[in-house]
Amino acid sequence: MRTETKQLFYLLAFLFPLSVFAQVPISGTVVDVNSSPLVGVSVRLRSTNIGTVTDASGRFSFSVPNKTGTLEFTNIGFKTQTVSLKDIAESITVTLQEDIGKLDEVVVTGLASSIKRSNAANAVASVSAKQLTGTTVQPTMDAALYGKFTGSNISANSGAPGGGISIKLRGITSLVANSQPLFIVDGVYYDNSSVVPGLNLISKAAGQGSTAFQDNQSNRIADLDPDDIDRIEILKGASAAAIYGSRAAAGVVLITTKRGKTGKPSIEISTNIGQQWQLKKLGQRQWDEAKVQTAYGNTGVALYRAANGQIYDYEKELYGHKALMKNLRMSVSGGNEQTKYYVGFTNKDDEGIVERTGYKKSSFRINLDQKVTKFIDFSVNANYVSSTADRGFFNNDNTGATLGVAYISTPSWINLFPDANGNYPDNPLASSNFLQTRDLMTNREKVERILLGGNATWKILNIGKHNLRFIARGGLDQYSLNTIAAFPRELQFEKNGNGTNGASINGTTLTKGTNFAGFLVHTFEASSNLSLRTQVGVTAENLDQDIVINSATQLIGTQTNLGQAGAIQVAETKTLQHDKGFVVQEEVNHRDMLLLTLGVRGDKSSRNGDADKLYYYPKGSLAFNIHKLSFWNFSAISLLKLRGAYGQSGNFAPFGAIYSPLVPAVFNGTTGSLITLTRGNSTLKPERQKELEIGFDIGILHDRITLEATYYKKDVEDLILNVAVPTSSGFALAWRNVAAIQNKGIELALNATIIDSKELRWTQTTNFWKNKAKVTRLDVPAFNTGGFGATLGTYRVEQGKSPTQIVGKGLAADKVDPATGLALYGDGEPDFNLSSYHDIIYKNFEFSFLLHWKKGGDNINLTNLLSDLSGTSHDYDSRTLDPTGQKTNAEYRVAALGSSARPFIEDASYFRVREMGLSYRMPKSWFRNIAGVKVGVSARNLINVFKYSSYDPEVSNFGSNAISSSVEVTPFPSSKSVHFNLSVNF
Amino acid sequence: MRIQFRIYIKVISVSMSLFLFSACKVEPILDPNNPNASAIVINASLSELQNLADGCESGMRDALGFYYDDLNVIGREYYRFSSSDPRLTSDLLGKASAVLDNNTFYITNPYSARYRVVRNANILIDALTSTKAPITEAQRKAGIAYAKTTQAYQLLSVFNLLYNNGVRVDVKDPDKLGPFLNLQQSMDAILALLNEANTDLKNNTADLPFTTTLYSKNAAQFSKFNRALAARVAIYKQDWTTANSALAESFLDLNGDLNTGVYHLFSSAGGDQLNPVFYPRNSSGETRVAHPSFITNAEAGDKRLNKVMIRTAAAFSDGLQSNYDFYLYKTNVDPIPIIRNEELILIYAEVKAQTSVPADAVSAINKIRKAAGLADYSGATDKNSLITEILKQRRYSLFGEGHRWIDLRRYNLLSQLPIDRTGDDVWQQFPIPANE
Repeated sequence: MRTETKQLFYLLAFLFPLSVFAQVPISGTVVDVNSSPLVGVSVRLRSTNIGTVTDASGRFSFSVPNKTGTLEFTNIGFKTQTVSLKDIAESITVTLQEDIGKLDEVVVTGLASSIKRSNAANAVASVSAKQLTGTTVQPTMDAALYGKFTGSNISANSGAPGGGISIKLRGITSLVANSQPLFIVDGVYYDNSSVVPGLNLISKAAGQGSTAFQDNQSNRIADLDPDDIDRIEILKGASAAAIYGSRAAAGVVLITTKRGKTGKPSIEISTNIGQQWQLKKLGQRQWDEAKVQTAYGNTGVALYRAANGQIYDYEKELYGHKALMKNLRMSVSGGNEQTKYYVGFTNKDDEGIVERTGYKKSSFRINLDQKVTKFIDFSVNANYVSSTADRGFFNNDNTGATLGVAYISTPSWINLFPDANGNYPDNPLASSNFLQTRDLMTNREKVERILLGGNATWKILNIGKHNLRFIARGGLDQYSLNTIAAFPRELQFEKNGNGTNGASINGTTLTKGTNFAGFLVHTFEASSNLSLRTQVGVTAENLDQDIVINSATQLIGTQTNLGQAGAIQVAETKTLQHDKGFVVQEEVNHRDMLLLTLGVRGDKSSRNGDADKLYYYPKGSLAFNIHKLSFWNFSAISLLKLRGAYGQSGNFAPFGAIYSPLVPAVFNGTTGSLITLTRGNSTLKPERQKELEIGFDIGILHDRITLEATYYKKDVEDLILNVAVPTSSGFALAWRNVAAIQNKGIELALNATIIDSKELRWTQTTNFWKNKAKVTRLDVPAFNTGGFGATLGTYRVEQGKSPTQIVGKGLAADKVDPATGLALYGDGEPDFNLSSYHDIIYKNFEFSFLLHWKKGGDNINLTNLLSDLSGTSHDYDSRTLDPTGQKTNAEYRVAALGSSARPFIEDASYFRVREMGLSYRMPKSWFRNIAGVKVGVSARNLINVFKYSSYDPEVSNFGSNAISSSVEVTPFPSSKSVHFNLSVNF
Repeated sequence: MRIQFRIYIKVISVSMSLFLFSACKVEPILDPNNPNASAIVINASLSELQNLADGCESGMRDALGFYYDDLNVIGREYYRFSSSDPRLTSDLLGKASAVLDNNTFYITNPYSARYRVVRNANILIDALTSTKAPITEAQRKAGIAYAKTTQAYQLLSVFNLLYNNGVRVDVKDPDKLGPFLNLQQSMDAILALLNEANTDLKNNTADLPFTTTLYSKNAAQFSKFNRALAARVAIYKQDWTTANSALAESFLDLNGDLNTGVYHLFSSAGGDQLNPVFYPRNSSGETRVAHPSFITNAEAGDKRLNKVMIRTAAAFSDGLQSNYDFYLYKTNVDPIPIIRNEELILIYAEVKAQTSVPADAVSAINKIRKAAGLADYSGATDKNSLITEILKQRRYSLFGEGHRWIDLRRYNLLSQLPIDRTGDDVWQQFPIPANE
C-alpha cells in the first residue's frame, strides 16, 4: 500500500511541476581574453536548471538558493569556466578562453542528451559554422564538408551545378542497400533522396554493359543552406550512432542551425560575387590530313579539306562559359530572456561553366525559442527553400546524345555553329551537334521544400538532487521535386528517324517525412562525486514518397507540353515506411573522471519482413580522464583520456525487397499479373553493423595542443544481396543476407594554437585518416559489379578482398588469376587522407585555408578511351604510356581494349587547396561604431595537383553508388572559383 | 543517500513502464507499387483471378523464340543465323568441339520462363482455393484444373528440352524444391497432372471463373484441350491405349479444319509481345532460313512448301547456307499453335498404326495428304512403313512447330538427321541449367 502511494506521488509529480525558489542574488560580467564582453554565455548553477545568459554587454544577474555549489560558464567555442559560489562577492568578472581543441564543445550522447567533448567516449567529429562557410562561399552544404573531419570519403559526382555528392563514413557499409548517411536537421529527419530524372530514355546508358542509371542527378541534402548552419556533428559508426538504430549503419550527420541569442538585434548582410571556370583544361588534338585519314577515312578528309584550316576551340566553347556566381545573404537575430529569434535569408544565383546551366536557390529560415513558463520552453524551426538546377546533359550514353560524349566524338575542324538564321548543321561525324543540344535542351531539377521542426521541454521536477525533464520533438520534411528533361524534335539525334521525334520527360516527386519523439530525462546528483542520467524515449518516423515520371515522345513542333505528344509512357514508384522504436540509456559520471554509458534502442519498421518485430541495437562506452586522478601532477600534460565505445546499428534492405510482387504483363488487349523474377524475402534481416572504437586524447600546454587518436573496427554483417536461385522455383533471384564486410581504420586529429599573441593568432587543425575494408563473408560465388564489365575494368566482391577492388581482363604481364581470367588493377579506396585547416589572424586581417591530400584510390577512367575511339583525345599523339615508346597513347589504350583493362584504371590521388580566404575587418570607428564591415577575397579548389589524366579525379558516373562510385565517362567537368566578399554587421 | 537512490530507481521504473507500454504496433505495409503475391492468395477478387490467368497465358509466351529455335535448329528444320550470337549455329548444331552449355540463354531462358508460369499457376491455385469471391464450387474446381493443365503444358515444354535429364515436377515450395524425376517418371507425372485436372473438367458444365484464350471458357470444353495434350504425352510414353481414349475426348475432328486448336496470341499493342519466331523475308544478320533438306526431301506438289519462301539472295553464316526463308508465320502477330487438329489427326494415325488398325491409319494419313495437295498414300501398310509415312507427314504438317527433333528422338532415329558440317553433332537433350 505504501509503495502504491509513493508511485502515485511520482505520477502526480509529473503533472504538477515543482521547483525551489531562489534567494541569493548573483551578478557579473563575462569577457574574452581581449576583455571584450561576450554575449549569450550560459551561466548556470551546476547540476540545476537555475541560470541565465549574458546580455549584449556581457552582463548577467540571477539568484541562487544559497551560497553553496558551483557556477558554470559555457559558450560555444570557449572553454567552460567554473567558479565556486563561496568565492564570489557581490559581482564577478569571468574571462573565458577560446577552446581550440573543442574540448568543451558539447557532443551528442543520446537522443535527448549531450556531453562535453572532454568527457565523451566517442570521437564525434564536428564542423563549426566558421569552418563550414567561414573561409569561402559554398555552393551546397555537402560540398562544404570534405577535408574538414576525419573518417570520411566524400566525393563530388561531377561539376554540374546543384550538387550530387557521395559521402561514405568509415568505409563501405553496404553492397546494394543505402550507403549514404542519415541527415538530421534540428531533430528533423532530412530526406536525401537522389531521384533519377529519366534521361535514360535519351541516353540509353543503362542497358548495354551496365544496368545502372547514369543520369547524374543531385541529392536532396543540397537543398539545405550552408549559411544557416551553426554546427554539424558526424556520428561515423555504430559505436556513436547506435541510438539512431535501424537507419544509422551508414552514419548520422546531425545539423544544428543558427539560433538567436539574448541581446539587441544583430543584423548581418553579406554579398559575394565570383566567377568559376574549368578546373583543368585538357586541350584538343592537333590534326593533319594523315591523322584525319586514319581516324575518319575519305569522308573525314573531304570535310577536313573543306574546313580549310579553320579550327574551333570546342573545349572553350563548351566548358568556357564565363560563369558568374552571386550570393546575397541576410540574417537578423536577437532576443531576450523569454524569446529568441533567428531569421536567415539567402539568395544564390550561380552559373555553370557550361552555358545554360546553373543553380539558383532562395532559402528562408526562421528559428524561434520561447520560454512559456518557468517550466516549459519550446522552440520551432521553419525553413522554406526554392531551388532550380540546370544540370546540362553529361555522363555515359549509348546514343551519342550527351554533351560529353558528343564533344569527344567531334574533331576541332568540324563546324557546329548555327548559321545567321539560327539553323544548326548536323554533326557529320557524330550523332549529335552538342552546341545545338546545349542551346535547345533542358535538364532541370526544381525543388520546393518546407522543413518544420518543433521541440518542447517541460521541466517536471527539480527537487533536491533530482531533475526530471520531458522533451517532445516533432518534425516535418516535405518537398516537391519537378524534373524536366526536354529534347525538342529538331535536335540531330531526335529527328529523321534518329530518335523519337522529340522527348519531354517530366517527373514529379512528392516526398513527405514526419518524425516524432518523446523523452524523459532524469538527472540525479547522487553525491558530489557521482551523477547519473537516465533517459527513456519513444520515437516514430514515417516516409511517404511518390515518384511519377511521364515520358512523352513524338512531340508536336517545339512543344514540350505532355499533351503535345504522340506517345506517352508513365512510370510510378512509391515508397512508404513507418518506423517506431524506443531508447533507454543510462549515463554515469564519476567526478568527470570515469564516464560510463549504456543504452539500447529497439526498432520496428514496416521495411522489415515482420513489421512488428523489435530489433535491438545496444551500445556501451567508457571514458577515463586519467588527468583527473588525484595523484596526477604532470602539469605539462593537461589532458589524458582513454576511451572505448561499442555499438550496433542497422540498415534496411532496398525498398521492396520483402515483397514478391506480381508485375503487369500485357496480353490480348488486357493486362495480366505475372510473378516477378526477384523473390521477396519476408524473413530478411536488416543489415547490422557492430563497431568497436578505442582511442585516447592527449592535451599539452594547457590544451594548447591536443591530439585525438582513434582506432575502429567495424563489422557490417548480414549484408543483403540479390542472389541467383534455381529457376525451377519460378524465380531467378532472391534477396538474402549473405555477406559481411570488415572496416578497420585509424583517425588522428591534431589541434594546435601555433602562435597566440595579442596581434597574431595562428591556429590549425590537421586530420589524418585511413580505412581498410575487407569482405569477410560471402555465401555466393565472387562476382563482378559496377562499371562496364571486365574488359573496361570492374569492381569485384570476393571473400578476403577489398569490396572496392578493381579488376579486369589482362595479359600475362598483368598477373592474371588463371581461375577467373582477371587481373587486379587497383582499389577505389584511398590509402589515406590528410587535411589541414589553418586560420591566421593578424590585427584586422584574417587568412584561412584548407589543404587536402588524398593519397591513392583508383578510378576507372573511360573518357580517354572513348576519345581515342573517335580519334579526338588530347594526348592522342603523345607517347607517355607505352613502356616501349612504340605506340602513341591512344594506340596503346585502343590496343589494350579487349585484352587488358590496365590503361583504363588510374590513380586518383590529388592534392588540393580546397579553400582559401583573406579578409579584412575594417575598424568600427570608420563607420561611427555603427557597423562592422568586412571585405575579403576567397577561392575554392584554386590549386590542384594530380596526375590523373582527365578533368578531375573526384568524379562518379554512377552517382552515390555503394561500390562503384569512381567511374568516369565524359562528366560535367569540375570547376574552381574565386569570390569577392563583403559583409556588414549592425 | 540510499533513500535518494530508491527514489531514483522508482522514478525511472515508473517512467520507463509508462513509455515502453505506449510504444505501439507497427502495421505491415503492403507493396504500394504492385499487387502482392502473398496477399492475393488470401482473398483474391474475381478481377485478380482474371489477372492471374491472363498473366499465365502471357507468361507462356516468354522466351518462346528461344524454345522453338532450340527444337527446330537441333531438329534441322531451320537455321537460326545471328550476327550478334554465334552460339545459335555452333552450340546448337554441335559445330566441331562446341557442346550445349548449361548456363547459356538457349536453355536458361526458356527453362526459367516455363517455371515462372508454373509458379504463377500455383499462385492462381492458392488464390482459387481461398478466395471468397462469388464463385461456385464447380467453378473453383474448374479454375484449379485450368491452372494444372497450363502447368502440365509448361512442364512438358521443359521435358522436351531436358528429356533424359528429366524434370523437376514438384516446385510448389520454392524453399523445398522436389527432385529431378527420370525420363519415365517425368512423363508419368505430367500425364498424371493432366488426368487429375481432367477429373474436375470432364462433365463439368460450369464456366471457368475467368475468361481464357485457351480453347474455351467452359470447363467441359476446356477438357478437350486437356485431353489433346494428354494424347500427345501418351504417344511420347508409347501408351497407345491411353492415347486412344484421350483422343476420343479431345477436340480431334478427322473431317474438321486442320488449324482448329489452341494458340499463343500476339499483338502489336503497346507492351504486348510480337511473334518471336517471325522475321521479315530476306532479312540479313538476324534471320531464320529453312534447312535445305526440307525442300529437297519434299514430294512434288506438296502445298506445305508454302511454309518456306525463296530468298532474293542466299543466306550464309558459319559455313551454312540456305536459299529459303522460314516463312511459317506471315506477320509478326501470327499466333503460334500450342496444339491443333492436324497434329491430333496424325496422333490418331500413329495410334492406329501402332495398335494394328492400318485402315484407320491410312485414312487419317490421306486426309493430311489430301489437304497438302498430294495423292493418297500408296505404300505398304505394315507398322514400320506407316510410322515412316506418319513421321514424314508430321515433318511437313508440323514444320517449325518443334516436333521433328522430338519425333526422331522418341523413335530413336536421330541419326537420320542431316549433318551439314563435318564434326557437327545431333544432341539428345539439353543439360540441366547450372543454377539448379
